[in-house]
Amino acid sequence: MTRPEPTAALERALAPMHRRAFLRGVAAASAAGLVPLGCRDPELGPPADRSLRVLSPRAYATLNAAAARLLGPPAEVLIQTRRVDPAARADDWLGETPALGAVLGQGLLALELGVWPLLPKLRPFTTLAGPAQDAVLASCMGSRLDLKRDLFKGVKSVAALAFYGEPASHRAIGYPGPFGTARDVAAAMAWSPDP
Amino acid sequence: MASEEVLRADAVVIGSGAGGAPVAARLAEAGLDVVVLEAGERFSSADFTGRAGNLLPRLMRASVAADSGMEVYAGRGLGGSTLVNDALCWRPPPDVLAGWREEHGLGGLTEAAFAPFVDAVWRDVHAAPTGPENLNRNARQLALGAARLGWAGEAMPRNVRGCANLGLCNLGCPTNAKQSMLLTYLPRAKNAGARIRTGVRAERVETAAGAVRSVRARGPAGRLRVEAPLVCLAAGVLETPALLLRSGLETGVGRDLQLHSSLHVTARFPEPVHGYYGPTMAYAVSEFSDVNGRSGPGFMIENVSTAPVTTAGALPGFGPEHARMMGLLPHLARSLVVLRDRTRGRVDLDGDGEARIHYEPVAEDLARLRLGLAAIARAYFAAGASEVWLPVNGMAPLTGEADLATVDDVPLDPRAFSLLYAVHLFGGASMSGRGDGFCDEAGRARGVQGLHVVDASSLPGNTGVNPQVTIMANALRIADAVLAARGATA
Repeated sequence: MTRPEPTAALERALAPMHRRAFLRGVAAASAAGLVPLGCRDPELGPPADRSLRVLSPRAYATLNAAAARLLGPPAEVLIQTRRVDPAARADDWLGETPALGAVLGQGLLALELGVWPLLPKLRPFTTLAGPAQDAVLASCMGSRLDLKRDLFKGVKSVAALAFYGEPASHRAIGYPGPFGTARDVAAAMAWSPDP
Repeated sequence: MASEEVLRADAVVIGSGAGGAPVAARLAEAGLDVVVLEAGERFSSADFTGRAGNLLPRLMRASVAADSGMEVYAGRGLGGSTLVNDALCWRPPPDVLAGWREEHGLGGLTEAAFAPFVDAVWRDVHAAPTGPENLNRNARQLALGAARLGWAGEAMPRNVRGCANLGLCNLGCPTNAKQSMLLTYLPRAKNAGARIRTGVRAERVETAAGAVRSVRARGPAGRLRVEAPLVCLAAGVLETPALLLRSGLETGVGRDLQLHSSLHVTARFPEPVHGYYGPTMAYAVSEFSDVNGRSGPGFMIENVSTAPVTTAGALPGFGPEHARMMGLLPHLARSLVVLRDRTRGRVDLDGDGEARIHYEPVAEDLARLRLGLAAIARAYFAAGASEVWLPVNGMAPLTGEADLATVDDVPLDPRAFSLLYAVHLFGGASMSGRGDGFCDEAGRARGVQGLHVVDASSLPGNTGVNPQVTIMANALRIADAVLAARGATA
């Protein structure tokens, strides 16, 4: 058996971020003290007993924080109560390809530590209130900078795959699961002729 | 120094998908000692649990064109993309073949010449019409809209036997209904003596004195070298050119990459659709096609599953609106534009020697994609949809036909879309009868005896329809040419 690769969506997320100069710049800026460091939300960081394979605790918390805002209220509840932990799933995948993990880590670091004028914030992403986090994500989504749009799409893709790939997320969206009952399948196939 | 395993064979086939598997079967059944090298895993139906989070990483590989954000997906694993495709079967369009003859000097690629191979594939993979028992409500909504608008459309033939309508085609078929390479050509190859190695990635093709000598690869147990006078490349449209480039074979390699660009449109219906069950794809609107005798703008519209992971990734926007859309999942229907691109891209190597794609959609293609979005929205409203979401970040949902005019405001910018992607790839090491392609009409590499390209890399352009049958038929055609040449020289 060969080693599993990261998911297609994960690779999709990471590939645009390979233009590392941008991300390294953000990382360097934070290291140089240009970015005020804050306390990340411990609710969204890794459990104390979990050893991370690739993501740093900060990147882990950033991914979960972003996923909670990107995917909306039901996801936020499930993520905050740990019933779904997208960052844990992503860290599992990335453990098989540490190089890609490093790229995602840089992207998440950019989201977490990037400040104005790059991103509309002066504090780490994980310390912001929900609406302020939304403003940051919206600025990425609608940016003229390709890299910011790539960052938005990449993080959203990872978040969506990691979240909706977990059975615990299905109830909130009315999805019966990959193996429906005979009744479920019959309902999907039933059709009355066009009147 | 680490040891290297050495195998000797009559032929090495690199890749086990729609190109490699038929060739492996044909050569092995003709008595050749064949080795198949597959970089991905070996799966069985028991592995196909329906768990997207576990399976997608192992079954699919994605690449992104950094210049446009275009996402490109390919299957991986023994059986290649046939493990994860939607089982759709189309014969090669005669007008596409005519174009290849005229534009690329491939005079032998006539419909008549292809027909025996297409017929063989059709039989071998059990392609058959899709009956009403396999048209789900998702497909029916598109068909209803098209019918009310007077548009041409049809249920697409599929290579399935006893489909249970589980909607899991893209995650491997857990009931073995889909007749992928794993169930058709690969068992035939194995029964005829082919040795199939999985988890083995070909790194270089070695040549000497104008002829192929061996393939160097790396697998779970370390390095591997397969010595053979015949090498058939079928590693996919990104990996086949990359392998050639790593091998120092550059003339005509990597250029003329073509895609079928795709965008999803999602619609809400008052009644439940349950579009996550039933065949993942089954119905096509061919009204706007420019193949099979049509002269439209050059795109197909095909319904597609609303499985949560893929639906969520393609929906625009985020936050509460995303949650609202996903909360409507049982009521959603989805279709996609499958564009016959005119853009030409290329494949080269990055600094690590890995395949890198360059693809910047030309404005004309983006404009035609926009036409496709409007057409799908129109069909859905005709069928009774109450809301339609285009895959454009920041764009409000359309709530009726009056909103269709706003589609003209969709920017011709590939990064404006929430998901612009392709799963149908062509070219990169293509055939030409004029001496300017990597290989000739029989898939023979120019200047390297014994080296053949047998996958979609060899095709000189896109097909305008789902291509698996064309790829398989072309592979069989090339395999027969190989065997004929051996017979002539034996």
